[in-house]
Amino acid sequence: MAASAKSPVARKRGLTARERDEAITGYLFLSPYLLVTAIFTVGIIAFALYISFTSYNLFQAPQFNGLENYQKALTDTNGFIRSLVNIFWYVITVVPFQTAAALMLALILNRKIRGQQFFRTIFYGPSVTSSIVISAIFLWLYLKTGYVNFMFDRIFGLFGADWSAIEWLNDPRGLFQLIANAFGGDIPSNLWYLRGPSITWMAIMFMNIFTTAPTFMIMYLAALQDVPPTLYEAASIDGADGRQAFWNVTLPMLRPVTLLIVVLGTIGAFQVFDQVQFLTAGGPLNTTLTPVYLIYGEALGRIGGGSIIRMGYASAMAFLLAIIIFIFTLIQRRYIESGTEQY
Amino acid sequence: MKRLLLVTMLMLTMLLAACGGASDGDNTGDATDMAAEGGDTCMGIAVEPDATVVFSGWGDETEQQVYRDSITRFNEACPSVTIDYQPVPADFQTQIKAAFAGGDAPDVIYVDDSLMTALGRTGQLLALDDFMASADITREEFVPALLDIFTVDGKTYALPKDWGTLGLVYLPEAFAEAGIDEPTADWTWEDLRTAAQALAENTEYGGFCQGADWARFAPWAFSYGATFTNDDWTSATLDNEGIETAAQIVADMKQEGSLVTAADVGAGWCGEAIGKKLVATTLEGGWMVNFMRNDFADVEWKAVPVPSGPEGKADIIFTNGIGVNAQSDNPNAAAAFALFVTGRDNQAAIAETGFAYPARSDQLDLIKDENDKAISEGGTYELTRVANWGPNTGRVNDAVGKALERIYLGEQTVSEAFTQAQGEAQQALDDAQ
Repeated sequence: MAASAKSPVARKRGLTARERDEAITGYLFLSPYLLVTAIFTVGIIAFALYISFTSYNLFQAPQFNGLENYQKALTDTNGFIRSLVNIFWYVITVVPFQTAAALMLALILNRKIRGQQFFRTIFYGPSVTSSIVISAIFLWLYLKTGYVNFMFDRIFGLFGADWSAIEWLNDPRGLFQLIANAFGGDIPSNLWYLRGPSITWMAIMFMNIFTTAPTFMIMYLAALQDVPPTLYEAASIDGADGRQAFWNVTLPMLRPVTLLIVVLGTIGAFQVFDQVQFLTAGGPLNTTLTPVYLIYGEALGRIGGGSIIRMGYASAMAFLLAIIIFIFTLIQRRYIESGTEQY
Repeated sequence: MKRLLLVTMLMLTMLLAACGGASDGDNTGDATDMAAEGGDTCMGIAVEPDATVVFSGWGDETEQQVYRDSITRFNEACPSVTIDYQPVPADFQTQIKAAFAGGDAPDVIYVDDSLMTALGRTGQLLALDDFMASADITREEFVPALLDIFTVDGKTYALPKDWGTLGLVYLPEAFAEAGIDEPTADWTWEDLRTAAQALAENTEYGGFCQGADWARFAPWAFSYGATFTNDDWTSATLDNEGIETAAQIVADMKQEGSLVTAADVGAGWCGEAIGKKLVATTLEGGWMVNFMRNDFADVEWKAVPVPSGPEGKADIIFTNGIGVNAQSDNPNAAAAFALFVTGRDNQAAIAETGFAYPARSDQLDLIKDENDKAISEGGTYELTRVANWGPNTGRVNDAVGKALERIYLGEQTVSEAFTQAQGEAQQALDDAQ
């Protein structure tokens, strides 16, 4: 709030008529925004917080039930806990990969190459395409009789090996489970959390990295163009080669943008929904169940096609998710921001 | 100034919270007074003068045309009521729940089990019994299993607009190639298995196509004398011996390769696998008739009723109804329209198009297509039922689907899978109490 910056000063010596007029005018200008925010953001959040302590089905008055929703969420190993484990794998995979991919694309496009504009447009394509359209395309690619299996089949064929087609969107075998299998072992289903992300989940991760990386590429590209050429000059005078200049000049200068990208990427990753809704509905065996998908299902009574509406339970899970995202963001700030000031 | 703002925001929040609370629970869903003044009579109901009724449902272009035609017929019978048809092709249930929560919902809507749970059990739908009495419609006219899902505490909150069930769909050419007899109406599941083995072994076709789907498994379970829960939806019955025996046959068939999934053969669903001649048999419903006519007109296919189990023949019924918004401004006109659309004459006209099966027992002979006739026979068996297990139906069915999924993947044995499903289903039933 810009106007409030001057109010402490004003209060000290009392408001003159003119200052009061200015303050009123200021708030008047702000009021449309403040009103909308108060009603549609602050008000809604407050109401959601209230119903998270109740049992509420949209049509009958909320029944206060204390911390029951929170307790239920934190003990539901087949639901909320499961979705948190899934989203944990997702975040720690997708965020680093998409950030690295974005940086790589940006570095390539930052060079003076022929057809730069053309490549920028092509690379940015997946980001401006609706996620449902991308999902539909990948749905075909990932078919058991689809192109991805076809490609693997051909590549394996080159080496005379056999590729047994994978049902990419319906294969719950986890990464660590596959590794265990390779050594003749297995991880039983009651230790599902040790199985790692399922093949289907990793297929969706790949798709999302492909979609999101170009969005962040644009940010990196803008930041790269802001790095003062004089720094590179100074570095080269000091005898730095290309690689050293990248590690010691480019990367540190990009640090604030990297923080932004990692934080935005993390928040986005925690909230993944549409791809799951469209491609897997949380399956197979709940290995792609995400918190937001679960919240949607409980809030609108869509679990298994038709269940009771549990708005209160959904709100409680939403607040737990918000807290988790908040903690993650704080940690990231601490790690990435430390050291930013010195540049 | 800052404090003032804070107070204003706080008050706004409280106001908002109050609004949310105020609209709840002040309607009971009972029929409003029947005597509207000065209006016409329609379906034996005195309707409000110059009423406009908003009607909404899902459906593709074909279904929308069926209902546009129904509206034309309604307007011939009741010219004073205007119908505003607003179809919502995708995600209808979500939108309707939001519309009801916002107090701005259509007057007449399609109702499925999920909407029945959300709206019918919370007083958002009008009980139709009094209107039915005026219109001379009785509950007994309908195919018995159909009304279950729309009834709460003995009151009828929606009437079935149509229904569907499953039959054994097959490709005659595959049976000819394998040199075995085509299925008949008195086949058992064991006969199906024997045939599927022969088909898988001696032809290029997949033997029998069935995914890890609770609905396709239901006829198996029901014909082995099992259901998913008890009749008052208080305890799950998934650890029942009938279920495990039926599931074991399915699991064995999957294991030996006589049962395949649509994905195994590269199709989106088993009906499409029939159309593409990838599998020889599957369980599908009346939608196959139009699907095959439109997409695979040159493929010859046939249907017989579902195979029977040790307890006799059983099938699953899918049905959707039409209900009336309890908050409607023109409840009488809305009810008259709902009763007309689901009424005898209109159902006969819809049956004529081959689009859907009529919901009245004595109108079943209006079904023309031979395959439709064979499939619809499933609706009349004594053990046939709607897979409706109360407010948390979706979660109970989901537990069965997931158990089948674990069995298909070889993750668990049949008994382990259904022991886990029993726990999950029981939890769902407990949550709904």
